[in-house]
Amino acid sequence: MFEVLKVSGLDKRFGGIVVADDVDLALVKGRVLGLIGPNGAGKTSLFNLVCGVVKPDAGSIMLAGREINSLPIRERARMGLARTWQNLRLFQSLSVLDNLMLGQRDYSADNLLDIMLRPGHVANRERDSLDRAYAILDQTGLAEIAHSPIGDITFGQQKLVGVARALMNDAQCLLLDEPMAGVEGQAYAVIQRVVRDIAASGVAICVVEHNVGFIRDLCDEGVFMFAGKVLARGSVESLIADPQLTELYFGT
Amino acid sequence: MDYVYTILILVGLFVTLASSFDLVIGHCGLISIAHPIFYAIGAYVSAMLAKEAGVPIPLAILCGGAAAFVSSVLVALPSLRVSGDYLLIASIGFQLGLIEFAKHIHSIGGAGGLTNIPSFLVNDYGRLSYVLLVLAVAVLTVLFVRWLTRGPYGRMMAAMRDDELAFPMLGRNAIWLKVSIFAIGSGIAGVAGGLYAHYFRFLEPDQFGLLLSSAILTMVVVGGMRTTMGPVIGAIVLQILPQAITFFGLPPSILGPLQGLMFSGLVLFFMFVRPQGLLAAPDIWAGREPKAGRRSGLADV
Repeated sequence: MFEVLKVSGLDKRFGGIVVADDVDLALVKGRVLGLIGPNGAGKTSLFNLVCGVVKPDAGSIMLAGREINSLPIRERARMGLARTWQNLRLFQSLSVLDNLMLGQRDYSADNLLDIMLRPGHVANRERDSLDRAYAILDQTGLAEIAHSPIGDITFGQQKLVGVARALMNDAQCLLLDEPMAGVEGQAYAVIQRVVRDIAASGVAICVVEHNVGFIRDLCDEGVFMFAGKVLARGSVESLIADPQLTELYFGT
Repeated sequence: MDYVYTILILVGLFVTLASSFDLVIGHCGLISIAHPIFYAIGAYVSAMLAKEAGVPIPLAILCGGAAAFVSSVLVALPSLRVSGDYLLIASIGFQLGLIEFAKHIHSIGGAGGLTNIPSFLVNDYGRLSYVLLVLAVAVLTVLFVRWLTRGPYGRMMAAMRDDELAFPMLGRNAIWLKVSIFAIGSGIAGVAGGLYAHYFRFLEPDQFGLLLSSAILTMVVVGGMRTTMGPVIGAIVLQILPQAITFFGLPPSILGPLQGLMFSGLVLFFMFVRPQGLLAAPDIWAGREPKAGRRSGLADV
């Protein structure tokens, strides 16, 4: 039970709005945790806190045994933390393939001096990234549209590109923010399969999702959040069956 | 003939300035119009090194470029750490402040200007040799910008322009990228400044003010941002136009303001009527085939 990500006592408030209230959470290697809760419960905010988009008021965030509270977003990413975004945040002026290329943890051109002085080194790393990108495009069934601009592909495909780009990181911890919202048909099946495969390869995954069917099929465990608090944790079945939580979820 | 050579040199210098400025404002999306101050730093540093310290002129010009490079990092680093918007304010402040400051430094000529800057090549090999040098620098700059923006570094610039939050989440360093590009663009402007100084042999601080900023911006906007030839065409057109209107024989009191009006008018006209500039190009990175033509879609779901 190796805890890849461990969040303890996390607090964050924006004025009077509490988005995280003494949150404890652990993501375990090879397991999928589902974050459940109504809108405004603090699920995406928790992702933002973990990624460094928002700084916590108190508490600690440990990634692979190292505290990352003070690290900028890019350093956390380079330690193997990857995420997708509710509103996708794909690079609109790039092709699908180029979106993926940028997700490589050690990008070919991160160092400007390398481009000027070691073009061969950069070319080798580009080739490695290209191979990895094509492997992931195959895995996600996107290879046919590799060269399409983001604006030319369907919403379901865009969702897949978001996941595929996050996979480029070869992350040890993957946060998926509503991967299924607005997705149906083939893309739905692909995302489900990919998430299962990634977990099986030993990545710790956390999913925010309103699609209960997806959560039930995929998650090993669920956490119910409300008003920035973790109210309950356990099997997804038990959380869904709890009448009190159902009432909070749907409101009264 | 000297007149034609001088115009060609100005065209070459402005192609260099416009192309390097397009790298900063177009490709990297950095909002700054203080390009002329780095041109000025290159010009003054190179002129002073050659004139007062006897540094060989090619070396002096490179030192001018290096000085522009370093000073641009000092301006960009603190402001970009806060937010991109601060760069505009910080750089204009730096530009106008430094111009005022230079007017009061007598050792560099003050407001009256720096005279008797040593000349380069012209006395030994004639003006044509200098024309060729300046045009070579211009061509190299255009090719360099094209190469840089179409490689893996250009992919990063396009991505950063698109989404500044997704970019670091992939492990990329946006601040480092912005500062690097700003410094490279400014360094090229500094080299152009050195080339200017040793041909015209006279510099005054007021040359490098907002009128020059708007001229370079106009060249990029009119020619077409993020295109290889856009800044080139913009620089040629906008260098020839003011020369052409001098043939109407208007008095200088009208001619000066007329140029400013022309630049602003052209920017406004193009912003409304043809925002993509004379040359419109599809985005470099959208749907581009990879160079080696590796694989063409073997999808198996």
